[in-house]
Amino acid sequence: MGSRWLLLLLFSLTPSALLAQSSSPPQPPQSQSAAAAGEPSVQSLLERIQQLENRITQLEERDRQKEAALAPAPAAATAPAPTPGPAAMHDEHASMSEIRDTERRFPSLQIRGFGDVDFSATDEKGSVSGFKMGQLVLHLASPLSEKVSYFGEVSFTAQPGTYDLSVERSIIRYDYNDYFKISFGKYHTPIGYWNTAFHHGAWLQTTIDRPEMVKFGGTFIPVHFVGVQAEGNIPSGGLGLGYNVGFGNGRSSILSKSGDSGDSNDNRSWVANVYARPSRFYGLQVGASVYRDKLTPQPGQNFGEWITAADIVWTKEKPEFLAEYANVHHRDELTSNTWDSQSFYIQLAYRLPWQQSKWKPYYRYEYIHKPEDDPTLLNVLDLTGSTLGVRYDITNYAAFKGEYRNSRHGVNEPRVNGAFFQTAFTF
Amino acid sequence: MTSHWKFVSRAFVLSCLCLALLQPLAAQRHDVDVAVVVHPDTPISNLSLAEVRKVFLGDRQYWSTNVPVVLMIRAPVARERDVVLKIIYQMSESQFKQYWIAKIFRAESASAPKVVYSNDMANQLVTAIPGSIAFIDSKDVKPGSKVLRVDGRLPGEPGYPLR
Repeated sequence: MGSRWLLLLLFSLTPSALLAQSSSPPQPPQSQSAAAAGEPSVQSLLERIQQLENRITQLEERDRQKEAALAPAPAAATAPAPTPGPAAMHDEHASMSEIRDTERRFPSLQIRGFGDVDFSATDEKGSVSGFKMGQLVLHLASPLSEKVSYFGEVSFTAQPGTYDLSVERSIIRYDYNDYFKISFGKYHTPIGYWNTAFHHGAWLQTTIDRPEMVKFGGTFIPVHFVGVQAEGNIPSGGLGLGYNVGFGNGRSSILSKSGDSGDSNDNRSWVANVYARPSRFYGLQVGASVYRDKLTPQPGQNFGEWITAADIVWTKEKPEFLAEYANVHHRDELTSNTWDSQSFYIQLAYRLPWQQSKWKPYYRYEYIHKPEDDPTLLNVLDLTGSTLGVRYDITNYAAFKGEYRNSRHGVNEPRVNGAFFQTAFTF
Repeated sequence: MTSHWKFVSRAFVLSCLCLALLQPLAAQRHDVDVAVVVHPDTPISNLSLAEVRKVFLGDRQYWSTNVPVVLMIRAPVARERDVVLKIIYQMSESQFKQYWIAKIFRAESASAPKVVYSNDMANQLVTAIPGSIAFIDSKDVKPGSKVLRVDGRLPGEPGYPLR
């Protein structure tokens, strides 16, 4: 009985010794004499292990000698490398094919899809509850060379009886270096944070919908922009400054659309955005934006537009904090009348640590005020609203979201309560 | 007396078994510094931890005008990856994946870090691909590799931040 236990002990120690080689030099087995007194098969096994260890040591030594012979002499600025240990012996050898696989090929198209399915029910008069297909979005990215890349985004949006296909972004970019990258195409206008951070994939954003001030199809700010854009970092040490400067068509005569097929007037719009990501406060971003355009909603009607915006975000999830403010100033060029509209939102979320951090409750307050007689933002209504919800990440690539909303659209209108659900995913 | 002896001997053997099984686990969990290794021609030898973070977040994409940064990271469950996610990214595995999907989706980067499956592979690739940067267990760094100082310190020196 005792010898059986001893045998069990020896077998348990043998793999342990093999595993321990990754962190300590090989040691001769200490239990040889004990084993010799027991089963002869154990003795032969230990001898075999010893032989294999010696063989591995020989092979490693030969490998090291070969590499030392082939390696170029280190440059003077090269930091001294630590002495390699024997732990590398369990690693796979990277073959030339692996190196070739890892090298970049051009073009190399990557496609990623986003989708969502929604359900909504509200107590608004005349509203209908039910399911709705969200946008199906395809994102394309393809490096064309070390310095030239293409990015595209197309969306399919459900309409009664059909689907609308829309090119949301189509950008070709040339990177000179980190400080200057120039691109041409159709962008999401770099005003504030949300519009360039989340784009059309609902899975990327914490909440079900975008804030009203940046919603797709809205007119409060121009969501899209067609033209040329320069972007990059600004040498600023730990301040982490960056910029975007764009020059393009601006809004079309339908103010929610960009001038994809040509400008609506002879005046170009421009946008400038500066942001800071201080290295001392990893996760913090502070930004400011200015946008200038001339609107021509009808022939003969011209309005100057100035948009100024500021944002502060904490992008980590414990907590997540997003806040944006924008002022839209319009001036009738004929009468010199002016209008100022304001909007902001504040969103707070927190990734709970329990259940593998799958739960993320959130709250958002948003506000829009627009002068009633502003002739340009006809589709924009005053808004005060709160959203309380929770996101549950089913996997790394899919999430459920549930929200309660209480909001008032327009002046002296009743508040509306609603329940909203969404499953959003990427594939 | 015999049954008592059997009980003691069994308890002793069981204790030995537990120790034997735990020994390699304990050995693997020891704190070994993770070296930041770059291609030998990379024109840089010292980075602050914040600069390493900026590089691995994809906010710095060029070493110089003609040398793009090529990021490499070990596959999940490797200790080097755990160290990078914990200290550099300060993200969970799922946050890391989401971060890079969003980064590419925003058109801020054309590709995510390349995944390497062993330190040996990382050593070979970082030597072969100009501009590449990888995290390798300092014990496994091959002689002649270019190891960056982080905050002025090399792996093994007191105060080295990546361990």
